[in-house]
Amino acid sequence: MKPDLVLSRRAFLIGCSAAASPLLTPVSFAAAKGENRLVVILLRGAMDGLDVVRPMGDPAYAALRPRLLDGEAGLPLDGFFALHPGAAALMPLWQAGQLGFVQAVATPYRAGRSHFIAQDALENGTGGADGNLTPARDGWLNRAVGLIPGATESTAVSVGRERLMVLDGDIPTAHWFPTEETGLSTQGMALLTALHSADPLLAEPFAEAQALIAATASDRIPRDHRAVSSLGGYVADRLLADARIAGFSLGGWDTHQGQAATMQIQMQMLAATILSIQGRLGAAWGTTLVLAMTEFGRTARENGSAGTDHGTGGMMITAGGALRGGQVFGQWPGLGDGQLLAERDLMPTGDVRAYAAWALRGLFGVEAQALERAVFPGLDMGTDPHILL
Amino acid sequence: MTEPPSLIEEIRFGYGPRAGWPLAPGGVDPDRVLAQLGTTDPEAAHWTGPTMADRIAVLRDRGRRKKGLPPIGPAIDLKDETARAKLAFVVRPAVARAGFVERLVNLWANRLTIGVGKGLDQLISHYRDEAIRPLIAARYPDMLRASLWHPAMLVYLNQTASIGPNSPFGLHKGRGLNENLAREFLELHSMGTGFSQTDVTELARLLAGMGNEGEGPFVGRRAVEPGTKTILGATYTTGVAEIDRMVDTIAQRPETARSVSLTLARHFIADAPPPDLLDALSRAYLDSQGDLPTLYRVLLTHPAAHAPELGKLRSPQEYMAATLRAVGLTGDPAKTKALRKRGMRLGEVMARMGQPPFGARRPDGWPEVAQGWLTPPMLAARLDWAADLARLVGDRADPVAQARGVLGDYGSPLLYHAVSGAEQRWEGLAVLLGSPDFMRR
Repeated sequence: MKPDLVLSRRAFLIGCSAAASPLLTPVSFAAAKGENRLVVILLRGAMDGLDVVRPMGDPAYAALRPRLLDGEAGLPLDGFFALHPGAAALMPLWQAGQLGFVQAVATPYRAGRSHFIAQDALENGTGGADGNLTPARDGWLNRAVGLIPGATESTAVSVGRERLMVLDGDIPTAHWFPTEETGLSTQGMALLTALHSADPLLAEPFAEAQALIAATASDRIPRDHRAVSSLGGYVADRLLADARIAGFSLGGWDTHQGQAATMQIQMQMLAATILSIQGRLGAAWGTTLVLAMTEFGRTARENGSAGTDHGTGGMMITAGGALRGGQVFGQWPGLGDGQLLAERDLMPTGDVRAYAAWALRGLFGVEAQALERAVFPGLDMGTDPHILL
Repeated sequence: MTEPPSLIEEIRFGYGPRAGWPLAPGGVDPDRVLAQLGTTDPEAAHWTGPTMADRIAVLRDRGRRKKGLPPIGPAIDLKDETARAKLAFVVRPAVARAGFVERLVNLWANRLTIGVGKGLDQLISHYRDEAIRPLIAARYPDMLRASLWHPAMLVYLNQTASIGPNSPFGLHKGRGLNENLAREFLELHSMGTGFSQTDVTELARLLAGMGNEGEGPFVGRRAVEPGTKTILGATYTTGVAEIDRMVDTIAQRPETARSVSLTLARHFIADAPPPDLLDALSRAYLDSQGDLPTLYRVLLTHPAAHAPELGKLRSPQEYMAATLRAVGLTGDPAKTKALRKRGMRLGEVMARMGQPPFGARRPDGWPEVAQGWLTPPMLAARLDWAADLARLVGDRADPVAQARGVLGDYGSPLLYHAVSGAEQRWEGLAVLLGSPDFMRR
């Protein structure tokens, strides 16, 4: 039986260090009501949306991608678009209306094509075209958690060793990754606790590190969570317990060279991750939405080394039983002469943040005004794209 | 090494004091720190690897073997070479007498990052030892040029796949540019800001055909893009000399001065360094054409270099080295064996702390600010390591005396109180090594 890390962590916090933990004072322990779940996957490196969901019906497409396509059209979706063959395992979800895509979306960041600035902008949710972050430099999902009635410190969880800006901020969230025990005595730990609690920089991460150590000391979990299928399963376990929102990242999308081989592996990895979440969630998949977003798209035209360079308009992948799927959302701008941005990139016709905002509104009842001001400053949500059932 | 460093010099400009080595009294003496740049590492020969030409020959032989052809290069096992490079990443800081020198090597190698993958494991030590290490006391443009032309950089940022679309090869095969190196050169290695997409594309046109197979830079005739390129208002034709002129021109721009200054000040002084220090460094950079020792002196004489507060969080590499130095575990093979026997493989431990050797995932390298190292799992890994190491070595020495030795007056009264309050000696050491005070520099 799998140990429940969230529960053991809470048991530890309540039992040992409630007074010292900055996490516990402002929140209640009542779990958030509701069965709706949101998974945000950050696809780091800029996924080539034009390769994942191929606009075969656009007359300009084939000429832009001679080496990448190489006669391989992909799996037909709706007569216009076709799915990358590496994601074939997702076709049953498409047919069940539990998979969808949003084409030609982007963040407002236009000042350059920097991965680093763009990833920060995507996670921060800033409205600035220059990529400048909001003063708090926190994540939009963190701000959103603060607006969900009944949310606790275990409502949202980021999974993985790295910091996830999208869930980082003033609102307490959990951060999980299996780790080792220290083997310190209770007193040794208490001495370290006293030192770290007095330190403004280290107090908060220490409280969570300490909880992680305590949880894993008694409930060792296998160390194979780096494998994506178990990562998905691990995320699903959190969502079956107290968590209703989970975030994690998948890298490897920066395909400047030899894109065909890399994308095959990347798409299989992404498909396996989504399917492992679906498999473990069981009935709870029916009220779950997955949003897989990336910092920007890639050049419409393949480059000189059978890859693509940094672009602008990109694509978001959506999945889940809560989704009104089986369709490609968004307004297609076309790839012909005069239709590309700067004669090179897919022209963004939608703000990726608007889709996230409508998802937060539909799943958790966050008010539109709060979404447009606090969660995504300066966003105009526009009309409901109806991505949810 | 003629004169030992002071405690604060070891902490702020090195990898922390090593148990059993002498320390000079007093604070930061800029002349004494800069004198390290003129010293030679007595163990350097131990870390010297094969030449680039030999490494490339061995890599080519792999392709020949797959085709059933006999090898023609030297018989060198590059897997050993990779393991040695990773060992050096952890051990050289731990044993360094000239800690400032090692810090600079790691700082510049991080600004001009090469990551693993793409078969680059076997070239990384050469990149660090030939393109970075010999140039830490040179002019920044010289280091920039050495880095740009290094085979590892050309492969890492896909330059070897970039073909001038109007070159013979490009016209014949329909191949074209790959902008990766051009972009990261401007964004990460030099200016950081102030350039446009057009500059990136034009630079990619200039760089097309760049090559180096271990015998020096060349521009391959078959891939070179003909014609004039205009980058930030300056025009270039083709060839090695033109690329070098571009490097010198970009390196002299105020944006580059600012970016290099920020790298230095943020690494040594504070995540948000004092603006007047950045101004002074930028001015010194432009006045001296990027002379690095001149910048180091500006840094070392600024009041922030002498402040008693420790403003920076140690990276995992720095933390690991500091713990090993603090317990005197710096080269005794018997003790190192004991580490391994207990499954304490240093590379794996560093990976759990968030810094697998040479495993930076992005071309902007490892974080230079505390927040990048402070996820709860990473911090838990540090605490695990502190306890494991202390349990291994800490049953002999007095932890309070150890704390005095490595932190002196830079440790807080709270720290000394906690270390002396432990039930066992090893736990006292674990509290010292796992304390916020020890994690800083």
